[in-house]
Amino acid sequence: MSRLVPTAEMTLGPFFPREFAQGANDLAGDFSAAIEITGRVTELDGKPLDNVILEIWQADAAGRFDNPGFSGWGRAATDAQGVYRFRTLRPGAAQGRAPHVNFLILYSGLMRQLQTVMFFSNASDPVLAVVKAKDRLIAKPDGPNRYRFDIRLRGGEETPFFDD
Amino acid sequence: MATRIEPRDPLTQAQGVEQGYAQTARRWPSQPLVRRPHGVAELSGPRDLAHKLPPVKGDLAGYGAKRALGQLARLRIRVLDEDGAPLPGTVVEVWHCNSAGKYIHPNDTHDAPVDPNFYGAARLLTGDTGLIELRTIKPGAYPVPDTGGWWRPPHVHLSVWGRVWLSRLVTQMFFPGEPLNEADAILNAIRDPGARERCVARLVPSKGNEMIFEHQLVVRGRKGAAVLP
Repeated sequence: MSRLVPTAEMTLGPFFPREFAQGANDLAGDFSAAIEITGRVTELDGKPLDNVILEIWQADAAGRFDNPGFSGWGRAATDAQGVYRFRTLRPGAAQGRAPHVNFLILYSGLMRQLQTVMFFSNASDPVLAVVKAKDRLIAKPDGPNRYRFDIRLRGGEETPFFDD
Repeated sequence: MATRIEPRDPLTQAQGVEQGYAQTARRWPSQPLVRRPHGVAELSGPRDLAHKLPPVKGDLAGYGAKRALGQLARLRIRVLDEDGAPLPGTVVEVWHCNSAGKYIHPNDTHDAPVDPNFYGAARLLTGDTGLIELRTIKPGAYPVPDTGGWWRPPHVHLSVWGRVWLSRLVTQMFFPGEPLNEADAILNAIRDPGARERCVARLVPSKGNEMIFEHQLVVRGRKGAAVLP
């Protein structure tokens, strides 16, 4: 069967509309058992980046990706200090996977999307297993129901990213 | 049926750090990206995204006294998967600058005039045949901010969701016959000439008062079981 070639990805550029970036970082809505995930996104030399777009995809608390009552997709943008914030549910373990949150990063100067994954602990997981610097993918507890997950695009303590 | 995602082809996708685009060397990872197995997390995706991202503004050109400056254009953009199957009901975000090359955005410090009748952002849902249609004006060219030394050709930014998490596509659409296309660091980061050509829309002959541009986006994914790396 003939196959079409996927369209070339290109950078988001610096002018992604502000209103597109906002209003989708609360996945938990009316659920009371919400957690908060925050972190700083930095480039080479640790410089924080403003208006980075982060999208997440995760399972519900029972590890399901097809719950009609909980959409595991969200989007946030970093502020001038490079900080993003999501309010969501703590995902459950799913079909052989440890609890995790998938991250997709879009930004000016990133020629295509970057993907990484946040874990809650150094648990047995087939995706975490292929990463050398595992500790950089494990969120740090930051108070009750709060987790910190910094993303370093390049340079010291660089976050591991996936190619798919 | 399950979706399968195959590795990116380095000839048809940008590789990260580009000479002539300084920011790429500060932001693209220095370590090699890691191949991972694909399972339910990577090969599922949001089903009701239009709830969170509702459609806005199907017409950016306006009419009469509210008409935006510039050449009227109708963009017909079709979204397909790698098997050529259309994607109906998928969200498409579109944004571009005005006919003078100015974005309504705090990051745009370019000394070009704002058009009070133009706001260059739309969000649409594809129809049954995977098609969106957007009436707008053709964007202008502009100098790239804070990198120095090159002009972006007229282009339209596009953000699309495919069937699964790994089929997310953010790209740009270019216009045919633009001399700035030849030297654009972003378009030319794609090594394969055919792949670059597919990022340029086709002008359809029209006797109406709008130029018609047809374009096709192919999101990643074929039918079939996942292949482990």
